[in-house]
Amino acid sequence: MLQIERIRKDIISLGHQAAQDRQIHRKALILAQIWLDEAAEADQLRAHVAPLLDDNSAEAVRWQGGIPCSPGKINHHHPTEDVPLADLVLIGVDGSQIYPDRQALALYYLLQIGALIFRFDGNAPTVHTREWLRYDKADLYDDRGYLIDGETLGMERMVKEMEVLADLAERERRRATNPIFALSDGPLLWPYVERGNRTSTHFTAYLGALRNVQKAGAIPVGYVDRPGGQPLLDLLWAGQLASEELATRIGENPLKMLSDVELMLEVLPPGAWTPWYTRATATNRRHAEDGQEIWFCYANLGTQRSPAIARIEVPAWAAGQDASMTALQAALRHQGSVLDGYPYVLARAHEEALVTTQDKTSLEQAIQRELFSVGILAQPSNKARQKLLLGLK
Amino acid sequence: MATTAQTIIVGNVLRADIRGFVIASRIPEPDVPTFGTFVSAPIQQGRAAVIGLVHNISLQDDPFLRNLAVTVTPGDPRSEEIIKDQRENRVIPVEIEVASVGYRLNGRSAYVYGFPPQPPMVLSSITVCDNDAIRKVTASPDFLRTLLDNLDVPTDELIPAALLRAAQLRPKAERGDFLLSAGRYLAHYLGRDPLRLERILTRIDQD
Repeated sequence: MLQIERIRKDIISLGHQAAQDRQIHRKALILAQIWLDEAAEADQLRAHVAPLLDDNSAEAVRWQGGIPCSPGKINHHHPTEDVPLADLVLIGVDGSQIYPDRQALALYYLLQIGALIFRFDGNAPTVHTREWLRYDKADLYDDRGYLIDGETLGMERMVKEMEVLADLAERERRRATNPIFALSDGPLLWPYVERGNRTSTHFTAYLGALRNVQKAGAIPVGYVDRPGGQPLLDLLWAGQLASEELATRIGENPLKMLSDVELMLEVLPPGAWTPWYTRATATNRRHAEDGQEIWFCYANLGTQRSPAIARIEVPAWAAGQDASMTALQAALRHQGSVLDGYPYVLARAHEEALVTTQDKTSLEQAIQRELFSVGILAQPSNKARQKLLLGLK
Repeated sequence: MATTAQTIIVGNVLRADIRGFVIASRIPEPDVPTFGTFVSAPIQQGRAAVIGLVHNISLQDDPFLRNLAVTVTPGDPRSEEIIKDQRENRVIPVEIEVASVGYRLNGRSAYVYGFPPQPPMVLSSITVCDNDAIRKVTASPDFLRTLLDNLDVPTDELIPAALLRAAQLRPKAERGDFLLSAGRYLAHYLGRDPLRLERILTRIDQD
């Protein structure tokens, strides 16, 4: 049991610190808006930050700021156009999992992917789910013999989500010639650092699935709700530095306590979209080698009363298709209009993918029965049973 | 839920007592039984079956649905697919309440009117009675007895609904006699409550 009284002073101190941080944030936000309004044209900014991206340059540093891709001023934003949505197809996908647990009655893990195909044709959308039960030692343990961790499972899940999107997009393409958007809940840019064979294998499979979505004539889209990170703020700071200061002072961004979302909440009205940006990270370079470089922008899919800032990611080859991007914006606005900005297809895909506690109990009962039928009496560990009794698990 | 030519499995028993039971169901809207439907559930390890009448159907909500309820507009083409998805795809739990009217022992054709010796066990499967079973269970107006004594159920609405449903399953020439016999039974039973009798008979007559 937690003794709140013993940490009372810390709680008070936490409150004071939050108030101070808020003051600092307010000042920083005002500065960020000034910098955004004063920022140079996109091509000038691109040329200005180029030395930071050149691997052969002595000035090259590991900079992960945003690189403007759209022409014109970067403080420009455009509204969502009211285009007809009839015949457009939006496929939303999400996944969930049961992690491997040494205390469980059997060692396994489960992945479940849920999808909703929304056709804007007046009919009920189609629900699709797929699941994978892994119990082989080769799947359960990494190269060093350790039980696989949550990150590895996250990678496999991301690959499966994109593979399901590719499968469904290919099936939809056989039915019609309509524009198809394959929407995943999270970044499209591979978010994992390459470490070891398994990461590399998953990344390669992911890029293959992205290519398959493209081959099916669909556009993959990553939807990141309340995104973290500050690539735009990093760009603004780079824009404040003289060329000769770039290499030495790029890490001193005085706006580092902010995120891009906080700035967007101030400057992006409901229904508005920013210009496109990219990042020259090692992962995105690998994407680019495969013809799948990822661009991103910010959009406010909420309302005046309840703004909802999201980062939208698409491959560079799709970002240049103006008509498709206009349709995507209109589709996402429609989807967000019923759930405070969050796309309906993703909410439903999540619901279909979710492995509930009840599902897990049913699965474990089925495993236990199966093991019993082959003469194995399987039980969860004593620790797991005690946790269950104490209501801790 | 599985459907055959004769039976529709409605759902499973969630809670039960001698007087009735509640079924949790996730069947799509068109298959949800209507008020006054005759249903059957196994009791006594499958050696008998209790017969009951659906007297309440409640759709359960959830936070997702509550959110949509204030943003989606029925009739607006922009909401059409979402409303259909909620109605046809989402597994919104339905609770169906049933009042017991009698039971039948396996291997016997006659029904015993009154409360069953045991309630159905939880998670027992419930089926909609076929037309033949409804004709048999309503062969005697005695099937109304437990309903007339049940103050927790809207019997003044339920009895007319059940009688009219049962009448429709009989040849046209027999329907008048069937309803007349039921009316006499009700008049005898409710002799001291003429207002209630009038309410029930008026509802039967309205149809």
